[in-house]
Amino acid sequence: MKMNRRNFLKAAAAGSSWFLTLNQLKGSELLPAAEAAPAGANLSRVEARYYDRLPDREIKCRLCPRFCQLGDKERGFCGVRENQDGKYYTLVYGQAASYNIDPVEKKPLFHFLPGAMAFSIATAGCNVACKFCQNWEISQMRPEQVKSRHLPPEVVAETAASYNCPVIAYTYSEPVIFYEYMYDTSLQARRKGLRNAVITNGFINPEPLAELIKAVEAIKIDLKAFNQDFYTNYVRGELKPVLESIKQIARSRVWLEIVYLVIPTLNDKPEEIRQMARWLAAEIGPDYPLHFSRFQPMYLIKNLPPTPVSTLERLRDIALQEGLHYVYLGNIPGHPGENTYCPNCGQPVIERYGYTIKKINLSGNKCRHCQQVIPGVWS
Amino acid sequence: MNKSRVVIIRSQSAWAAKGRPDPASMLRIFRKGLEVLTGSSLAEDGLRQIFHPAENIGLKISTIGRRAISTYPETAVTLGLWLAKTFGREDKIIIWDRTNEELKDAGYKLSRSAGSLKILGTDTPGIGYGPEPVVNRSVASLFSKIQAELIEASISLALLKDHGLAGITGGLKNYFGAIHNPNKYHDSNCNPYIADLFEIDLIRKKHRLTILDALRVQYHRGPSYHPQWNDQSNKLVFGLDPVAVDTVGWKLVEDLRAKKGLPSLPEERRQPAYLKTAEDLGLGQSRLENIEIIEEEV
Repeated sequence: MKMNRRNFLKAAAAGSSWFLTLNQLKGSELLPAAEAAPAGANLSRVEARYYDRLPDREIKCRLCPRFCQLGDKERGFCGVRENQDGKYYTLVYGQAASYNIDPVEKKPLFHFLPGAMAFSIATAGCNVACKFCQNWEISQMRPEQVKSRHLPPEVVAETAASYNCPVIAYTYSEPVIFYEYMYDTSLQARRKGLRNAVITNGFINPEPLAELIKAVEAIKIDLKAFNQDFYTNYVRGELKPVLESIKQIARSRVWLEIVYLVIPTLNDKPEEIRQMARWLAAEIGPDYPLHFSRFQPMYLIKNLPPTPVSTLERLRDIALQEGLHYVYLGNIPGHPGENTYCPNCGQPVIERYGYTIKKINLSGNKCRHCQQVIPGVWS
Repeated sequence: MNKSRVVIIRSQSAWAAKGRPDPASMLRIFRKGLEVLTGSSLAEDGLRQIFHPAENIGLKISTIGRRAISTYPETAVTLGLWLAKTFGREDKIIIWDRTNEELKDAGYKLSRSAGSLKILGTDTPGIGYGPEPVVNRSVASLFSKIQAELIEASISLALLKDHGLAGITGGLKNYFGAIHNPNKYHDSNCNPYIADLFEIDLIRKKHRLTILDALRVQYHRGPSYHPQWNDQSNKLVFGLDPVAVDTVGWKLVEDLRAKKGLPSLPEERRQPAYLKTAEDLGLGQSRLENIEIIEEEV
């Protein structure tokens, strides 16, 4: 069935328990809940980008720093890209395992179109394996193990526009691994005047990132720690390429925000946070937001408590001391650390409660109180 | 210390027409293998030493290589039917792998009928994977409900192949097909992941017998099929010690590589170090001096 808006709404009426809805947007109940394809029914076969063909039908993937080298019928670490007879294919092109409408504050993006709704999509798969993943039921799965729905790029863009979502967000799992789908969707979105936000771990090679930067407007990077040991033991990734991605994005015109999930005893050492804040201030400057997010026990780390609010406050103070201008606290609704404060006069310029905007004291891109320019994408 | 016994049975008559294994020859090989392995004069008595009649027995095969390089149906079905005949009921035997599509592509006819041999993939509707990851050391995975719930005893009926990352793939690595996320465990020559996975009770306590299908051995550029490096070895390898069987499998691969003038796996820096890890975990013997290898022909 061709998925136009009419069909989309018709499908919505059918109801579906797997479809995720949030209640931030009243219209969200109108979102489609068409019958999901059963697990395994919808593997795409679209040739992947960024790989080299090797002798004897082997390939080497160049999308992320893993550089998976694979024989025929093998898949990369991500589980969604497969060598088929010497050609490399993405199995998740147009195969949305999760889609939803979220406020951009949920991503979180605090300096990017405050209060805007983002049509948010994800496929199965991820190129790391965080032990604290909050979306492991799709990110740590292969595409045939999750229900998905065929939403090709033009349908995503059309649907987002039809629900007045000015942003499409590539999120939940890891959009690097559905690069081709994300890239083509972002081009479709632009044709409709929409903008694109990528919510990623930043574990991507410079060449594909350079292309992606041309196609999107905002990127949020999860910086998971500021030491390699944590990346080795809890992420199964590498820190250095992530830091390189942060620098590469900051040099571009794309808006950047950074999130750091603070896990008690694992990545909450004040001295390490100080080093990270210094590095950020020195390498990308003080104006890109840094969010300290509160950990909740989940997936493979259920033996640690939620992050104490006092720890988060202390880390925020350290980052501010090191000169960062916009340091936020997340997953603590109602905390003053959710607000944006003018670094010049100290007055709140955006007041938030959770994902809700309470008040905006911006005039254009300037603080209404002192006319200080507040960096971001405000309109 | 008692040595672990590994039995290699060769047969020059293993093949029927069209390059397919001959079921009658397969049965002769299975019978001889079990007799020598268990010291029983009657192969069925050997089976009864290993399995309890009430147990549902899983035959974990390997079909990821599809038609080109998978456990032959003639081999697996012959073994399944022999087990069924020995223990009295066909539907106590499950021949299985990850997906129905791979099974079909490898030449298997799916079956869930009551009273007959079951042949099915984990993705069969109503089966799937368990809801929560099972964690052991470096591994955290959802388990196929076939392995976790439907069987009490397991045979790893694996293909012996060179493996570009693991070094070799055999009976231990075959259980990667029992979890939902094997793609996460190919770093560092699959070490320690293969051993850590096998140590999980759902495998270790159920595993009874390894049979390596070395009728044809992909000794280079595996696990994919490359005919120029595929040897018709005409062998099946039997053992109760899963680490010892794979260690002998490694030796067979190295022997073929040496014969063809190829560098050894250590020279290519991809020796199957997971075997030593498995020994360190107490799962079996990884040193040839601790393995009694008996080779016979039928």
